Amino acid sequence: MEELYGKIAHCVEFGKINLASPYPPDMKGQEGADELTKKAIDEGFPPEEVLKKGLVVGMEKIGVKFRENKVFVPQVLMSAKAMSTAMEHLRPFFESGAVKRKGIFVIGTVAGDLHDIGKNLVSMMVKGSGFEVVDLGTDVNGQQFIEAIKQHPGCYVGLSALLTTTMVNMEKIVAEIKAAVPDTKILIGGAPVSEEFKEKIHADFYSRDPQGAVDFLNRSVA
Amino acid sequence: MELQEYNYRFDELEVSTDIIEKFMGYQPGQAPEPMPQLIREVLNQAHDLCDIRGGYVIKQDIAVNRDDKTLHIHGVEFDVKKIITNQLKKMDATALFVCTAGPGISNYSKELMHEGDFIKGYIADVVGSEIVESAMDKIQADLENQMESQGLHITDRYSPGYCGWSVGEQQKLFSFFPQDFCGITLTASSLMQPIKSVSGVIGIGENVRRKGYVCNLCDMVNCIYREKKETKKADRC
Ligand code: B12
Repeated sequence: MEELYGKIAHCVEFGKINLASPYPPDMKGQEGADELTKKAIDEGFPPEEVLKKGLVVGMEKIGVKFRENKVFVPQVLMSAKAMSTAMEHLRPFFESGAVKRKGIFVIGTVAGDLHDIGKNLVSMMVKGSGFEVVDLGTDVNGQQFIEAIKQHPGCYVGLSALLTTTMVNMEKIVAEIKAAVPDTKILIGGAPVSEEFKEKIHADFYSRDPQGAVDFLNRSVA
Repeated sequence: MELQEYNYRFDELEVSTDIIEKFMGYQPGQAPEPMPQLIREVLNQAHDLCDIRGGYVIKQDIAVNRDDKTLHIHGVEFDVKKIITNQLKKMDATALFVCTAGPGISNYSKELMHEGDFIKGYIADVVGSEIVESAMDKIQADLENQMESQGLHITDRYSPGYCGWSVGEQQKLFSFFPQDFCGITLTASSLMQPIKSVSGVIGIGENVRRKGYVCNLCDMVNCIYREKKETKKADRC
């Protein structure tokens, strides 16, 4: 059992999607996260364990490597693809409620800003750590965030901004959210954002990389 | 010849697989499959996805105020701060520029991401960034040729949002161009649309020079462009 979990984690960490995928070159011709996850489910392994001891472990490892600049965006995206392909086999268990997500994370790029690659990366990493992610897209205003929060009570919220001029919209959105749903925990990030800015606008957490967000969320639900 | 406008086809630009690999973090030629194949696919499609346009306005009535670190162009004050003031202090005229790759490549990237094709979506995003930078390189080279023929030189390019110059000052910069020039619009939050667009100024004069690699001037230590372009004339700090 543990061996198969280890293999699944390895496939996710190294972005081995399926048998047909030529990436990574040294795993060419081998089964990937897709086949191995299906195998685990078919053999009756508990889906919750497949997720937590296999897939999530692989995503965590790539997240840490990315934070340490040991891998670049493409490798993270390959891992995310392997993860999402494998997750298809777990979908029925999420739908039936047999496997529970750790929580819900609502994310969006703030009003006035259309950048989305960074936000997408955060979204993939958080999804890969076992949360349900509601991605509101780009140019999202306070009202849209509040509506989503009301639809998903208890959710965590992530705001992304890439320009100093749109970063200031974070302040407004954080204030609006905190006024409407006071207990909401808000994470912020993006190239010009900083720890000091987080303090200034009374957001709850800042991280320069997606793994920081994952660690914070994991700590919060522990 | 105050306002100059340029149009390029994708194949007129120098956007190679190598340079895309570099900006994805790999050594050129070293990205493992499927990256090179996907890059080639995006580059092959790029021609149909781009609307590459750019241009500049040259203004002679300028002043550089070294005391308050501002630049005065045709009566408009730009608060460019210390680093840029220093780089432009010897200029006698300036070219204000904008350039865009058009909306197609970003839309394509978004579509791919949405469909779950993350890698190709990301590659399309990087290609879009490189297209606009590479088109601006060409425009700058043309400006340089024209100026050299008059015995003048040019500086590197400097953009609002870099080296302490507020990105909000793009509002003033855009006031020098006709509305919707090259299809670029500026939102209230100073975001250019299409997203793959750049803006800025270039100094012109007898005593100015291009320095090429200017990363050492900038304090953005995590920038993905840092140290990557030292072999090419780089204009990003
Ligand atoms: C590529 C690039 C461009 C390209 C493409 C833009 C695009 N994104 O499509 C081009 C060349 C077109 C461009 C243009 C401009 N750019 Co630019 N660009 C960059 C660059 C080098 C990389 C951006 C990128 O793709 N990063 C990769 C992604 C994956 O990273 P990311 O989005 O930052 O996300 C990561 C983290 O921030 C974090 N994160 C993001 N969101 C969140 C959210 C949460 C909750 C958490 C926890 C974490 C998190 O996790 C992500 C993964 O690690 C950055 C510098 C940099 N190193 O970031 C400047 C940068 C974003 N640009 C900048 C500027 C100023 C501009 C221009 C205004 C310059 C100009 N006047 O021409 C224009 C504006 C364009 C426009 N449409 O208005 C500034 C913005 C800061 C500022 N001063 O406002 C930056 C930061 C550079 C700088 N000066 O320091 N740019």
